[in-house]
Amino acid sequence: MSAPLIELEHVGVAFSAQRRVGSGKFWALEDVSLSLRQGERLGVIGRNGAGKSTLLRVLAGILRPDRGQMRRDRVSCQLLSLALGFTPYLSGRDNAILSGLMIGLRQREIIARLPAIKEFSELGDFFEQPIASYSSGMVMRLGFSVAIQAEPDVLLIDEVLAVGDAEFQEKSGAALRERMRQGHTVVLVSHDETQVSALCDRLLWVEHGRSVREGPRDEVFAAYHDELVHPEGGA
Amino acid sequence: MPQHLFELILFSTYAELRAERSRSYLGLIWWIAEPAMMMAAFWLVFDVILKTGGPGYLPFLLVGLTVWQWMKSCITHGGHAIWTNLGLIRQARLPVLVFPFVQMLADTIKFLFIFALLLVILWVIGYPPSLSYLALPIVFAVTLLFAAGVGFLVAAVVPLIPDLRFVIEQVLTVVMFLSGVVFALDSVPSPLREVIALNPVATLLDATRGILMHAQWPDWPALLKVCIISAIVFAIGIGVVRQLAPRYPKLAV
Repeated sequence: MSAPLIELEHVGVAFSAQRRVGSGKFWALEDVSLSLRQGERLGVIGRNGAGKSTLLRVLAGILRPDRGQMRRDRVSCQLLSLALGFTPYLSGRDNAILSGLMIGLRQREIIARLPAIKEFSELGDFFEQPIASYSSGMVMRLGFSVAIQAEPDVLLIDEVLAVGDAEFQEKSGAALRERMRQGHTVVLVSHDETQVSALCDRLLWVEHGRSVREGPRDEVFAAYHDELVHPEGGA
Repeated sequence: MPQHLFELILFSTYAELRAERSRSYLGLIWWIAEPAMMMAAFWLVFDVILKTGGPGYLPFLLVGLTVWQWMKSCITHGGHAIWTNLGLIRQARLPVLVFPFVQMLADTIKFLFIFALLLVILWVIGYPPSLSYLALPIVFAVTLLFAAGVGFLVAAVVPLIPDLRFVIEQVLTVVMFLSGVVFALDSVPSPLREVIALNPVATLLDATRGILMHAQWPDWPALLKVCIISAIVFAIGIGVVRQLAPRYPKLAV
């Protein structure tokens, strides 16, 4: 088996509680360990506030662990973010380029993909208009069309699988599933268990900022459901 | 610098200038109209009403305000840039120095545009170009180095203590009056005048005015001193931003 691309050992991340002099810290992540290998599709499950999104931001290299060890190969990890860096007064085209640059694409790569982005977002002539004139659905459509262009070694996804109206949800969900099937390494955070079952082969269960269990999908799901039905030790 | 970052900085600068143009009805006209209105206000107060201007006051004021506005916008716009982009910094892994840098680049492009117009005005009112113009790029490079250094320092701290924004605005106003932007420092009594002359902004303005109005070469030793101070401020500014960078993604927007 190949060496892990990313390994976390007992990683914790602390935030200050509020912007006040001498305010305390709280640990959004207390103690999380995981290892991610090439081609794996890891789902992260757990209740609201368990620290799943914070974990993704650690993996993306946005947050630095305050304790514990993180080891990462020289791979690019990208959080799939919709409408990253969008500016209201710029046209859809300019925003697509700006956002593409922010998710790590080269300018010529984005320009080459502009026709595809325009087509996928179904914006038509609005593509040349400032996005201030768009409906929120149109902004999300453009945002998704750009975000899906990112080609990191490890794709990190935080519950944004479907945006827009029903029809576009179908289409964007399909596009994303297609990306995941192409053998990319993916970490997916979601509340939707059907989605996680369908897309991931391994699971990490996080509770109160701690990793409870990591392993094959069915095994972790079984333990998770057990806990939901027969909670042990309060929590 | 990786080419990718270079592209991001250039395109963001273009986007910034373009967005600024579209934010108002008159767009680009404000690039000129805003400084012109400010100059008119100072000219009215100091020359017409108080009569403290004296001969040559108009070009003195034009040059001083043009250069000062450039420095001030680099410091305030650059200084707010990390703070205003915290939302982005929370979501994407980008070197935070990009944000102040983009603002300063945009302000410098605007400055060059206004400066070209200033040159035309100076030529028309009787201050022709001279050989000493050759020193302008050096003086401007030092000016930018100093403003950028201060801007980075401010940018580093404002996200952690946003309250500083209100203080900085006032401090800059005081610095403007103490740097001989709107009135010559010759009128300041002696011991105070020497203290004020230590201020790098005063030296930089003197050098620029000497070149543009009196065909004078800059006072090289003084300029070198300012250059060294600026380089130190710049290095500290970048160092503090890099030191604090891990904390920005954790801040509330």
